[in-house]
Amino acid sequence: MDFELSEELKMIQSLAREFVTDQLKPLERDILGRAADFSDARTYLPEEKEAELAGMVREMGLWGVGVPGELGGVGLDALAVCLVEEELAQTVVPFHFGDVTPILFDCSKEQQEKFLRPTLDYKKKPYLALMESDGGADPSGMKMKADKVNGHYLLNGDKLSLSRAGDDYFAVVFAGTDSGVTCFLVDKDTAGFSVTGGDERTGWLAQVKEPMSLVFDDCRVPAENVLGKEGKAFHLGRKWLPQRRVVRGARCVGVARRLLDEATVQARSLETFGQPIFKRTSIQAALADIAMNIHAARLMVYEAAWKSDNGKSIWREAAMVKLYTTQMVQTVVDRVAHIFNGPPYIEGLPMERLCRRALEASAIELTLERQRSIIAGDILKGLKV
Amino acid sequence: MPLPVQRDIREIEGILNEILNTRCPPVGRCRLLSSGFGTAHSLNIAEDISGHKECLGCGNCVDICPFLSREPSRREKTEQRTSMALESIVGEDCDLCNACVLVCPQVDTTIKNYVVNHRMVEVMSRLERRIGDEDEPDLDLFLEEAISSD
Repeated sequence: MDFELSEELKMIQSLAREFVTDQLKPLERDILGRAADFSDARTYLPEEKEAELAGMVREMGLWGVGVPGELGGVGLDALAVCLVEEELAQTVVPFHFGDVTPILFDCSKEQQEKFLRPTLDYKKKPYLALMESDGGADPSGMKMKADKVNGHYLLNGDKLSLSRAGDDYFAVVFAGTDSGVTCFLVDKDTAGFSVTGGDERTGWLAQVKEPMSLVFDDCRVPAENVLGKEGKAFHLGRKWLPQRRVVRGARCVGVARRLLDEATVQARSLETFGQPIFKRTSIQAALADIAMNIHAARLMVYEAAWKSDNGKSIWREAAMVKLYTTQMVQTVVDRVAHIFNGPPYIEGLPMERLCRRALEASAIELTLERQRSIIAGDILKGLKV
Repeated sequence: MPLPVQRDIREIEGILNEILNTRCPPVGRCRLLSSGFGTAHSLNIAEDISGHKECLGCGNCVDICPFLSREPSRREKTEQRTSMALESIVGEDCDLCNACVLVCPQVDTTIKNYVVNHRMVEVMSRLERRIGDEDEPDLDLFLEEAISSD
């Protein structure tokens, strides 16, 4: 058993760490706002700045870390992707190293040229249209329909998307057909397809993600725009999607590390009743709890990523990572609140956004329960842990 | 109570599986495969009965049988509460739940362990397959993608 990262992985980790420290962290105030009432806070960096940063990452050779080499990315191992994401999660600046949803990895050759490559090159934004306003948490019960008419599909219905808005975009739409749920790629200019909402917000609402509303009214989509096979939408990207769960776990670890850094600074600098608070054992205990939680979560993430890289099934491990890291971040936030002598959701502090971003993926309690049933399922099959 | 030294499962695994796969209450045949009566009993008899494999007639197997719970009228066919009676009144309607094997005081613990570890797990995995099947797509993965996409 070797817990040491290889030289290559260490190099990737330090490249990402230096990039975050030198390039992204100085931009945090641009995002959080400098004005007293934070009216100049914003959700994303200006596009020119993002393009400049993306160029730097390309020069580093890390653009498209999680995208397979044959699809135009770097095609790094899951462990390397986890290392990079852990570093990137330590800042509130929303920036990624060419992150593309694996749902698009099943594009045909033509679709790759038309949709996947421009997405990776930051030219087109994919709008993931899975949720519906009254759909609840079960995507299989969607109401949107696609009828096959003369070799075309007619899409009718409304969708919600939390994806980032852009000038040029396409929708990745999940709709019910006769053979099951099918995924369609609908380009911006398709007749009958319209988008409302999704404007970038500034000020104190900048951190609240408002969903875009996608309306399809007799929207005609050619058969070649079906992603994957008809009726098999939920089989898309199945080789990569469990791995994404581990990567999201790595992001939680990154957020928790940043929170620990912030809490340590606070513990060192704040004095109450004539004594620095770090001298109090309860504050020391809180710091120790955070460090222990981070360490345990990181080991789980690395082990799951390593297993995935060695071709093993990580179905259960990914579930465990998601369940544990989500709870870990919540514990860490609680301990940080203890050190800060109150909730850390103070506007204008990096912590507020960090906590928000870390918790958003776990917003649906149902998915956590689902992780429990995956793990329990394996135990019932005879798994000895 | 069976003898302290019980049947080695490796010797009887083939025939045991044959018995457990046959649609008929398996308790009687599992009892005959077991090591037999142990020495520690409180029966008031002088005769040495250790190693004997008879049914005690305790009726545990008749009481636990889920099929007889669903159709109690079958119990009225006989007043006997032996494994022989169970086999004759349940016969091929057996659910193959193996509960009768587990409650029989005359069946070896080694056999019961085998049933629990190798046979009941199969039943449970069939039942819980719906929640943990890797071939079934995990829709939450898509939901997570949709929520966390930037």
